Amino acid sequence: MKIAYNWLLELIKMDKSPAQIAEILTGTGLEVESIESFESIKGALKGIVVGEVLTCEKHPNADKLRITTVNIGTGSPLQIVCGAPNVAVGQKVLVATVGSKIYPTQGEPFTINKSKIRGEVSEGMICAEDELGLGESHAGIMVLPIDCEVGKNANTYFPTYSDYTIEIGLTANRGDAASHLGVARDLRAVTGIPIQLPEISSQIPDTVCPITITLNDTDCKRYAGLVIEGVMVKPSPSWLQNKLKTIGLNPINNIVDATNYVLHTLGQPLHAFDLAKISGQSIIVQKAAKGTRFVTLDKVERTLLGHELMICDSQKPLAIAGVFGGLDSGITENTSAIFVESAYFDAASIRKTAKAHGLSTDASFRYERGTDPEMVVYALKLVAQLIVSLSGGSITSGISDIYPTPIAPINLPFSVQRFTKLIGQDIPLETIKTILTNLDIQVKEDSTADLLNLVIPAYRSDVTREADIAEEILRIYGLNQIAIPAQVKSSVTPTADDFNYQLRNRAANFLSNSGFYELVSNSLSKSAYYTDIEQSQTVVLRNPLSQDLDTLRFDMLYSGLETLQYNHNRKVQHMKCFELGYTYQKIGDKFTETPHLTLWMYGNHRIANWNTAAEPMAFHNLKAVVLKLLKHLGIPEKLDIDYDATHKHLYQAVSISKSKHELVTFGIVKPEIAEHFDLNDPVFVADFNWSSIRKTVAEKQLKFKPISAYPHVRRDLALLIEEHVSYAQIEKIAYKTVPNKLQSMDAFDVYQGDKIQSGKKSYAISFVLQDNEKTLTDAEIDQTMSALIHAFEKELGATLRA
Amino acid sequence: MIEQLHQLHSTIESTELHSAEDAEQFRLTYLSRKGLLNDLFEQFKLVSNTEKKEIGKLLNTVKKLAEQKLDDAQIKFIQKTHQSNKDIDLSLPSELSDLGSRHPLMIVQNKIVSIFTKLGFSVAEGPEIEDDWHNFSALNFPENHPARDMQDTFFINDSLSLRTHCTSVQVRLMEEKRIPLRAIMPGRVYRNEAISARAHCFFHQIDAVYIDQNVSFADLKQTLYLFVQEMFGSDFKVRFRPSFFPFTEPSAEMDISCMICKGSGCNVCKHSGWVEILGCGMVDPNVLTLNGIDPEVYSGFAFGMGVERITMLLYEVKDLRMFSTNDSRFLKQFESA
Repeated sequence: MKIAYNWLLELIKMDKSPAQIAEILTGTGLEVESIESFESIKGALKGIVVGEVLTCEKHPNADKLRITTVNIGTGSPLQIVCGAPNVAVGQKVLVATVGSKIYPTQGEPFTINKSKIRGEVSEGMICAEDELGLGESHAGIMVLPIDCEVGKNANTYFPTYSDYTIEIGLTANRGDAASHLGVARDLRAVTGIPIQLPEISSQIPDTVCPITITLNDTDCKRYAGLVIEGVMVKPSPSWLQNKLKTIGLNPINNIVDATNYVLHTLGQPLHAFDLAKISGQSIIVQKAAKGTRFVTLDKVERTLLGHELMICDSQKPLAIAGVFGGLDSGITENTSAIFVESAYFDAASIRKTAKAHGLSTDASFRYERGTDPEMVVYALKLVAQLIVSLSGGSITSGISDIYPTPIAPINLPFSVQRFTKLIGQDIPLETIKTILTNLDIQVKEDSTADLLNLVIPAYRSDVTREADIAEEILRIYGLNQIAIPAQVKSSVTPTADDFNYQLRNRAANFLSNSGFYELVSNSLSKSAYYTDIEQSQTVVLRNPLSQDLDTLRFDMLYSGLETLQYNHNRKVQHMKCFELGYTYQKIGDKFTETPHLTLWMYGNHRIANWNTAAEPMAFHNLKAVVLKLLKHLGIPEKLDIDYDATHKHLYQAVSISKSKHELVTFGIVKPEIAEHFDLNDPVFVADFNWSSIRKTVAEKQLKFKPISAYPHVRRDLALLIEEHVSYAQIEKIAYKTVPNKLQSMDAFDVYQGDKIQSGKKSYAISFVLQDNEKTLTDAEIDQTMSALIHAFEKELGATLRA
Repeated sequence: MIEQLHQLHSTIESTELHSAEDAEQFRLTYLSRKGLLNDLFEQFKLVSNTEKKEIGKLLNTVKKLAEQKLDDAQIKFIQKTHQSNKDIDLSLPSELSDLGSRHPLMIVQNKIVSIFTKLGFSVAEGPEIEDDWHNFSALNFPENHPARDMQDTFFINDSLSLRTHCTSVQVRLMEEKRIPLRAIMPGRVYRNEAISARAHCFFHQIDAVYIDQNVSFADLKQTLYLFVQEMFGSDFKVRFRPSFFPFTEPSAEMDISCMICKGSGCNVCKHSGWVEILGCGMVDPNVLTLNGIDPEVYSGFAFGMGVERITMLLYEVKDLRMFSTNDSRFLKQFESA
């Protein structure tokens, strides 16, 4: 909302700059978003002077140009090259002197330099109307009346109106402040300076208004009008045009401008009808008939839905009440008599209508937020007085004011003690009373020191409760005046989510310390990613931004593939990344949000360096990260690992679970999927089911295990086994065979090739043996190793490699 | 024996140890458990008392000599191994694989959460797919409030939408009636807005609520003041402005002095010297009543802030879209954050 500084000061006399006023207003909750200086003529014609054309000759090198000399009163005439066909000796013209900046009506401002045009010096510019921002005409240079004085600054003849435009970000609750008066009221509340409303000096006749007003709907609470005859519709005088322009309005004609002026002064919307267009001498306020077609002032035909409050005459609708006038009943240049409306409508009804038709006008903006029912008649008188002074007409009827059920002011008891407790600081009672009084809130005489009985003015429709009064006092007293207590008050109430939040951070920090970058991806995704079966379970938006963002992501996979693709297309060949996020499913009527931790790896595991060779990412790099992370989070070691898992997006898929809860699935993205994202190298993915991880971690409490006092020994075996035998099988047999002595085992060499029988492979495995009760003797160690060799031979057909 | 020892002394003295193998052989010959010197110490036990003093002294001298010789040789061979590393160009690039990093939004979110955790707030989370009651009605949003409009909210069906703020979690906590309530609620929220440098359809918020007896506006100011001191530093000024939110009354917005221009005016603060950080207020009595908490007994404060906004201010990121594009050239800049 825009407020003009000068206009505001007409209502409240203050010796404060726009910036000082802005500071007060921001402090009361009317946040000033910007202050801009306004000039009715941009640049105020600085450096533009009146000149007289002394000579005018054809340019030697250009047919359409002339060389003139122009006296601008400085003693020596200037030589100026001019292209206008109408330039002639003896003319008084406007000259933009060298160094001046001109602001054309169209296009960017520019500075006048001394220059050479086709070889001839030009020391300025003789200007056309549009070149100076004085109008639209480019028909030639402006020729001034002959009595204009040479050397005088142009603004002597074309005065500039200067003001400041103050832009306020009005919050939804402050309908009362949607006018210059409303803003002035907040200034009064802070400073105590009284407000001066324009005086009504015009006489309103006693005669009965010829228009009969009938209210057929309770959404219209008050309706007043009067008739002005003999009006001459014409442009407004410049003082009015300038005021409207300062707040960003386009002047239209004197009648419409007058209604807008009073609207922005007082916040009361007004509407002028052409009296000749009102049939049957009557105004009827009622709901529209559903399906009625109605053409509004913007020449758009609208079909009415039936809930709209309409201003009608005896035959037809004239205007959408409080929102928009009708084209047929509006003011035209032929209008000679008008009926002016000033009314109070129900806020919700107007909002519903404006919303239904996608309309927002200055009137609907104010009605939706609540106007002042007590302002209706004063605003009508003020606008009538203004129209008469601007259009030469006269008020020919008295005011017809229909107000069946006057809106009573709200009485509100207010506990000072509760207020003190709520804000945490004592404010002197007298200060509270002064603030309330300056806010037009009456403190009744039967109030006590503890309980104030208040009367709230009707225009403060947002103030209905004790908490609202607290806000009113606080915002005027100043939020920044409330002292900060020296001690912190706290009430500690731990929640289960604390643990999960920390656990997520623990995982994320581990990964980011392991060379992974954390992603934040849009959880809105595209349905095109999903199969028909998946689509029956996806969560679809009813009003998506676009087809690419129409579904909540059903899978984490694509977020990462999109990231890898984006970076790959920008020559980033290696990337390890992860995201903590949700997927969303619809199962029957139920919607679920599933937390995930997903990681993606692409490109080289190690890049080439002068002392290391490049090493492409491999499955075991992924597996190592997964297992390390599980270990870091404290997931128990005895896990069920399925090395033969099947997965819709992955091959070489492995899944790890604990007590039937799947913890993580990882593997390599199927090439037919990765290829869609221009990724030709393998993409390694691990998808952790975070609910299971969280549950599994929560169950486990770390316990210290005593360190064995006895030494461990290492023994190695080179086993020759069938190709299909897995390390996992060997591991399982080993722990089963010597459960108490085997501390750990590892594979340190894998061989398959010419040196051994085909169809076989050789695993070199180390075993670390230890007894917690005693030092193992050589005999016991040999016995243990024989047991292992025997078991491998019996269960896997393994032999020792020679 | 004296003669033998003298001879041994000169033999040891003249021995040259050229390699680690020589040294090990020397150790085995003279100093090991089965070595020559150990034998001589055994014999020494049988020596007569008159000779004991002289022989003992001599024996110790020979032993010291042998030990010294071995030590010198070992140090020499270790130094030799180290010297082979000496000619390397130390300025050659070391292999620095990617450091990895947290996402800047999460770095900032964690920082904010940890400050409030220190002040006794607990973390609480709630669903993103939310019903009208938790997102709007229970928070005192009037039936036809603009926030409920189609242009602001993503709808899933007649009753469910994507939450437009984390304040919905506050409602879920109030339902559990665990008063006193002191919680911080980070999470993802959605608005149906076209994606641009200044607007996005999803972003991150941190909401907080404190409900107990005698919670005052002064307490709210204090909490937020302490937050600013911790988050931005003690030289930042704080300003509160009255504002409007359906779920708080009185409502306010908090500004801090602009971190770019330090208050002298720049584009970021629109030349005001202040930047808006968060919205706050006292929990509206209607909200307490709607959630079954007696406003005559309890009061509370609530506030909420946008993680993106604070991150943009802190790191001077100008385009909101950077946060979800996941460009590695962007992410890598936060390795040290």
